[in-house]
Amino acid sequence: MRTRDYKQTYRELVALTDSVPVWLWSAILIAALIIAPHILNAYTLSFLTIILITVVGVLGLNILTGYTGLISLGHVGFLVTGAYAYAVLVSKYQMPPIVGFLGAGVIPALASLIVGAPSLRLKGLYLAITTLAFSFIINTVILEARTVTNGARGIAVKRPELFGISFESEAAFTYLCLGFAVLTLFATLNIRRSRVGRAFVAIRDNDIAARVMGINLHTYKLLAFVTSAFITGIAGALYGIYLSFVSVEGFPFLLSIEALAILIVGGLGSALGAVLGTVFIVLLPEATRLVFSLFSTQMDALFSTGAQELKSMLYGVVIILFLRFQPRGLVGLWHDVKRTWVHWPLRY
Amino acid sequence: MQYLVQLLISGLAIGAIYGLIAMGFALIYKSTGLVNFAQGEMTMIVAYIAWSISTSVDGNPFIVAIGAIIAAVALGLVVERVVMRPMLGEPVFATVMVTIGLAVILRSSINFIWDAYPHDLDIGFGRGILRAGGIGIRTGQIAVIATLLALLAAIWAFFRYSKFGVAMRAVAADDRTALLMGISAPRVHAAAWAASSVIAGIAGVFFAISYDLSPAMFQLGLKAFPATILGGLDAVLGSGVGGLLIGITENLAGGYLGSGMKEVAGFLMIIVVLMVRPFGIFGERDIERV
Amino acid sequence: MRKYLTTLSLPLLLAGTLAASDRAFAAEQGITDTEIVIGDVEPLTGPPALLGVAASIGHKIAIAEANNAGGINGRKIKYVLEDDGYVTARTIQGVKKVIEVDKAFAMLGISGSGQSIAVMPVLEKAGIPTVIDVAPVKFLWEPPRKNVFVVGQSYEEGIIHLVTYLAEKNPGKKWGLITQDDDYGITVRDGFDTVVKAKKLNVVYSGNYKKGQRDFSSDMLQLKDSGAEVFLAGGIIAENIAMMKELEKLNVKPVTGIFWPGRIEPVLKLMGPAGNGIYAVDYVEPFASAAGKAFLEKAKPLVSEAEFKGINRYTMTGYAAAKVLIAAIARCGKEPTWACTISELEKTKSVETGVMAPVSFGPGVRFSNQKLQIMQSDFPTLSFKPVN
Repeated sequence: MRTRDYKQTYRELVALTDSVPVWLWSAILIAALIIAPHILNAYTLSFLTIILITVVGVLGLNILTGYTGLISLGHVGFLVTGAYAYAVLVSKYQMPPIVGFLGAGVIPALASLIVGAPSLRLKGLYLAITTLAFSFIINTVILEARTVTNGARGIAVKRPELFGISFESEAAFTYLCLGFAVLTLFATLNIRRSRVGRAFVAIRDNDIAARVMGINLHTYKLLAFVTSAFITGIAGALYGIYLSFVSVEGFPFLLSIEALAILIVGGLGSALGAVLGTVFIVLLPEATRLVFSLFSTQMDALFSTGAQELKSMLYGVVIILFLRFQPRGLVGLWHDVKRTWVHWPLRY
Repeated sequence: MQYLVQLLISGLAIGAIYGLIAMGFALIYKSTGLVNFAQGEMTMIVAYIAWSISTSVDGNPFIVAIGAIIAAVALGLVVERVVMRPMLGEPVFATVMVTIGLAVILRSSINFIWDAYPHDLDIGFGRGILRAGGIGIRTGQIAVIATLLALLAAIWAFFRYSKFGVAMRAVAADDRTALLMGISAPRVHAAAWAASSVIAGIAGVFFAISYDLSPAMFQLGLKAFPATILGGLDAVLGSGVGGLLIGITENLAGGYLGSGMKEVAGFLMIIVVLMVRPFGIFGERDIERV
Repeated sequence: MRKYLTTLSLPLLLAGTLAASDRAFAAEQGITDTEIVIGDVEPLTGPPALLGVAASIGHKIAIAEANNAGGINGRKIKYVLEDDGYVTARTIQGVKKVIEVDKAFAMLGISGSGQSIAVMPVLEKAGIPTVIDVAPVKFLWEPPRKNVFVVGQSYEEGIIHLVTYLAEKNPGKKWGLITQDDDYGITVRDGFDTVVKAKKLNVVYSGNYKKGQRDFSSDMLQLKDSGAEVFLAGGIIAENIAMMKELEKLNVKPVTGIFWPGRIEPVLKLMGPAGNGIYAVDYVEPFASAAGKAFLEKAKPLVSEAEFKGINRYTMTGYAAAKVLIAAIARCGKEPTWACTISELEKTKSVETGVMAPVSFGPGVRFSNQKLQIMQSDFPTLSFKPVN
């Protein structure tokens, strides 16, 4: 077991990881994910798909909120813009899906330039609420631009065919999401270790100090918005394809909140945390359902109509308890476990 | 002219409800530095409790009012003690997320305790319509505007003259120094939560009297957000005024630009205002040091 | 590829063979010697629980009735109900769970219109016999899908029926309309526009409100200002209540029509006297009619007290759909299969449900096209009464 990091060259310092076991476990995880679609049934597989799509979106939010410290309550606005960009380009104008995905990234990125502008002046919760306002305004724009978006009618979306491979089946679609998730993960990990990523973190920790050190706040804050919106837009396209029907209804405000909850539960500012948080939050309702099924007969008799609400209440309780006892998130928990493992029986 | 006056009156009436909830937001922000995302849910719960009381005592307005206030105080204190107090000293972001968890629980408790049907809060008051020169207003709407104005005056006096009000301001300004001066921060927080819950509850009851009581009522919290941002998150009185401004803006937009604009008018307005004053119209500018 | 991968490791191989054997031995999923599983996904939490719970109660009544009569050819029906909270992604997962994990034999429901549309590919791919009852929209039966049947009437036809009736009753009057800014609102608007063109109606006000809006003061003021005499209130529940109260405040009382999603009795209490005499259209019987009373009589012993309070028009539509489905499975005899159930559903001809006109499908017809009737509210008794 390693106890310390001894880094001697710059190359080692910026390497993704210098640990062979990390590479090994990652490879095993990827292999497991590649095999999974062939053995899971459609229901279990749908969880995997949702997790992968959510990971993409949450990693996008993580760049803005986790790295740069700009809280966004309106990220669902980028999600819905991405989904519509894809749907309009592919379903309406019969463009190839690859163009659709590109548009799903670029169009929200352009929109984020407008949304990001106030961030140059606003801070903290004021900025959060401005982004919230933008997500409502984006919905109104989509509903009003009937000629392009079909308004409230929505657009039906088919599973795509890329490079001659059809992603029609559930398993194939999961692979597509897996591909995007892995790509996004590498992209964000690399951004974090680059000059740009370090600038983001400097802005998060203290923006005035960052400016003193020569970081152009305007450029980097907007860059954070653009990158974040690009990735979230791609997630929106995937989500739209998963729903097979894109409408404003399918992207409720709740998704913004859920994405933030995932970041907090996972551990703010960590890509690993974003992944762990996603798995936790997506599977939580299923876990509460399992707990309930243990007592299902008594429960059903007790509160015939209220049992379902009790489940959602339990969801809230778990989130509160989690934040109460592990406010650094799952990543914090993971570090604690690792440290205990290394130092045991000593405490430090 | 009559058209404009009617729009303004309706705007003030709905704006007063936004303003009350916004004051609830600001009270908590001012004393604890948190945004309470469960404000709309607390509004709804108090209104439902008031409805339960009204159905069992045949709608006697005094018993309903007293019962609802006691329930609101209890709700605020319980939330502060059980949910928020243990989070003292944790990162602000995590604490704000706790209020989101709380919102989920409170929202679900409506269908759990009551049901999903719309209900009618009838306390024998507030339904009457006053008419003058072709303009109509319900007595309940006049009452909510009057309540907001009275509360604005009362809270101004409270912060200005009462010892506890000064203590709350001290905690808000600098909780450590306040602690050294012998002010109990937890007690101030508890008072803020209780007061915020009561003010939000008043808004909920008035809303239920003028409109209806349904599990979708929590959305009022979202509608009051622009009001508190407009007024300034830390400005209790400013948030109340912000509510009135948002209410009027919405109705003018709805009346002259068409109904599609009504719901986003408030949000558009705060973006414009925040670009000019990034801390709200009445908010205080933060001075940052590196 | 698939076979190659499964032979890679022993656990996978085991899982694979288990799955295969499962399929080989069972006659059809969801059927044992004593039980038959019917699945459903509805919003059971949050505000839309109003319709989801009511629909599920309707399904429960029909199922309890069948089970009390000995089940379907000796098999008791097991009802599996999932909550989607009106979130489309959860509807998709719920349907997958009911089909894959609970191994349902057939499905009822399913949630709202947007949700039904989104699960259509899943239903089609699975091929499971499905009867949709909650939100009949054209997309669900045009083009007809082999295994998906819809009991009800389209929103568009409903609105056309209502507006035509009101137009004939109030010739030459000025019209006002307000709709919600979603797919539901658009369908209402489409139906309205059809009649406007056919009857050359004079529309003086046309509003569009955002979902979740409660304060209708400026919208109703515009309506008043326009001088509209006939008004189609395109809200659902709370919206219509708020609109009627606002009109009362503004001291105008146009002839008003509302649509069936908002036609539940508690609305009338909330509207107060302002809601007296409003017109509504529906394809199920009002509870004040003889058929409606008989239905409540029948339901009373079959459901709990809390459930009885949750009964509304969606209970009737749910009951009718479940009744049609159960009858079709029963006609398949001892060993019902999906293919047989689908072909029997297709042969459904004038099945009496007691809550709406007889239900029929046909070859290539997946939509029962229910007969509509106009009703009018009566404030003193808080009920809707048929109008002839």
